[in-house]
Amino acid sequence: MLFLLPAAFFFLLYLVVPIPVSGYYSLFKWDGIGTLNFIQLDNWKRLLSDDVFWLAVSNNFKLVIISIIGQIPIALILAVLLTRKLSGVNFFKTVFFIPMLISSVAVAFLWRYMYDPTFGLINAVLEGIGLESWALSWLGDTGVVFYSIAIAVCWRFIPLYMIIFMAAISGISEQLYEAARIDGASPFQSFWKITLPLLLPTMINAVVLVIVGSLKYFGMVYALSGGGPNHASEVMATYMYTKSFTELRMGYGSTISLSLFLIAFVVSVFFLALTKRSIRD
Amino acid sequence: MRKKMIMLGMAFAMFCLLLFSGLALARTTLVVWDIMTESNQYYPAFDAANARFRELYPDVELKHVPIQNDNYKTKLRTAMAADNTPDIFMTWGSAGLKKYVDNNKVYDLTDDLSKEWQARFAPAAMGLGNFDGRQYGLPITNTAVSLLWYRKDMFEKYGLTPPQTFEELLAVGQVLKQNGITPFALANKNKWTGSMYFMYLVDRIGGPGTLQKALNRSGAFNDAPFIEAGQKLQQMVDLGFFPKGVNGLDEDTGQSRALLYADKAAMYLMGSWFVGVVKLENPAIMDKMDFVVFPAVKGGRGNPGNLVGTFGDLYFSISADSEHKEAALNYLKLISDDTMAQELVKAGCIPPLTGSAKYIDDPVLQKVAEIAQRAESVQLWYDQSLPLELTQVHLNTTQALFDKSITPEEAANKMEATAQEYFGK
Repeated sequence: MLFLLPAAFFFLLYLVVPIPVSGYYSLFKWDGIGTLNFIQLDNWKRLLSDDVFWLAVSNNFKLVIISIIGQIPIALILAVLLTRKLSGVNFFKTVFFIPMLISSVAVAFLWRYMYDPTFGLINAVLEGIGLESWALSWLGDTGVVFYSIAIAVCWRFIPLYMIIFMAAISGISEQLYEAARIDGASPFQSFWKITLPLLLPTMINAVVLVIVGSLKYFGMVYALSGGGPNHASEVMATYMYTKSFTELRMGYGSTISLSLFLIAFVVSVFFLALTKRSIRD
Repeated sequence: MRKKMIMLGMAFAMFCLLLFSGLALARTTLVVWDIMTESNQYYPAFDAANARFRELYPDVELKHVPIQNDNYKTKLRTAMAADNTPDIFMTWGSAGLKKYVDNNKVYDLTDDLSKEWQARFAPAAMGLGNFDGRQYGLPITNTAVSLLWYRKDMFEKYGLTPPQTFEELLAVGQVLKQNGITPFALANKNKWTGSMYFMYLVDRIGGPGTLQKALNRSGAFNDAPFIEAGQKLQQMVDLGFFPKGVNGLDEDTGQSRALLYADKAAMYLMGSWFVGVVKLENPAIMDKMDFVVFPAVKGGRGNPGNLVGTFGDLYFSISADSEHKEAALNYLKLISDDTMAQELVKAGCIPPLTGSAKYIDDPVLQKVAEIAQRAESVQLWYDQSLPLELTQVHLNTTQALFDKSITPEEAANKMEATAQEYFGK
């Protein structure tokens, strides 16, 4: 018990205490430096009618869906392939894990140069194969920018789930596959009947990680577009950052960050409750 | 036994470490924050100054922390809010610095400014660091005015002359466009870059008083010149004068200049620091570059000699709670001395330091200095002359003008609504 104390102390100080403190700050108009002006629930009223905030919320949920659809299946396929005893598999394990090893900002810069409308790799390839009309301005077009960023985010996080699935797959007893083989099951059947069901708890955990991660995501959105142009790629965290640190509206920023916490909390609790029931059934 | 020995050894090492770190703490540590990263055009001058300081004051440990432009502003604000300020910090003077002054975060330099030291600085540049007659920030760099740069060779190739009026500008742009060249290099993710077009159009249409009147509330931010400026801007957008995806391109990573260097764009509305940037990035292209001032608008009230920019760009200040004011003052004296002026000129800067003019031998820089001196009015960048709340709205609405997600009227009305909220009437 005593060993937990240091960890518990820092956990409380840096993760739990800030939540009520943000709640307190959300009742003030405050530039972070000067005096606090008590304005009751004005920040919250403002938030409810703030179009940009709701745009950010919807972008966050879009990111959740794109990440679940984009990251989990690809990570699963890669994990299944890389846990097979093929030659050269170690090389590919390393290669596919690289995106996870590069820092978010560096990854963002890689993508920024690839997305450059005039000099970028993507448009050069599209123009090379005669698809000029597909060569968009990936980060400048308000209709496209969010998806461009979502793809880059998926690219970076697939390896994380790949490693999680690989660990889970290597935990599945070899005897099950042997028995299946003796009974004449095809590799495809043993995937559907053995690997997938046994991976389900791991997948549910992965999905929870994706949901929470996407709801509070900040890094690459900030580095690629800063939430722009014209808020098109705004997510809650970038909006909170802009309000608090660029516009110095700490009170309103606290309001946004507390609502981010509430939304992420409610969604993950709801999802966990839902999946717990379905596993039991 | 062996284990014990190792433990003892480690304990001793730890003891020594603590002792030395204690000694190191006893030395004066002077922390300086600025934007002089290695990719900054003035880095060589500041690097040399830091080396000189370390040599002159061996008992002071100089901790120089350079941070990139846009991140710097955020980092400084956060540090100010958290009372965790460096000894010396840099601002762009004006409203940004005043906010810290109002909250007693900045050391008042007035009494330390001896006559000789005061005389080092160009009086026109001191104003932005001076509030209520007290000096809080000292201008080290530079006369920076926004100018219309163009590629001489490309203009010659298509038989063009630099535009004197807005109509000529439209004609020139269309010729370039027909030849597959983007008229303007611009990266507008950063927003202040696109703001230059807007500020100049407002000045040319309504004259320098337009903004002043809006700010002192005898006018408004939705007065005709602001709307007309927005319309003219969108006229250029409609004609395809700006690069594809302009609002997604990043000035800090040079995505605008890349177009200019690769012969894909012919003009660039940018501050005169561009000279230093080109010298660092692509010296060969400087011979092909020249500039004119922003063209006049027919029937407009602004004198086409008026400029947008500043006489002093970067201001250095000392924090109020710095414990090493003497060392900090020595540092400020060193970065405003004659050697520094010389180094800055070498890096393509027109320093607001007395006597630096004689070092300027670059013809382009000489021309910039002349034009700046002749200008009847130099409008300070909006993002420094406006209060923070209005600055953000100005930057956001202007960026939105570039992708036409807002009309000039909506942009102007939004500005005015924010101004009314801010000024309380």
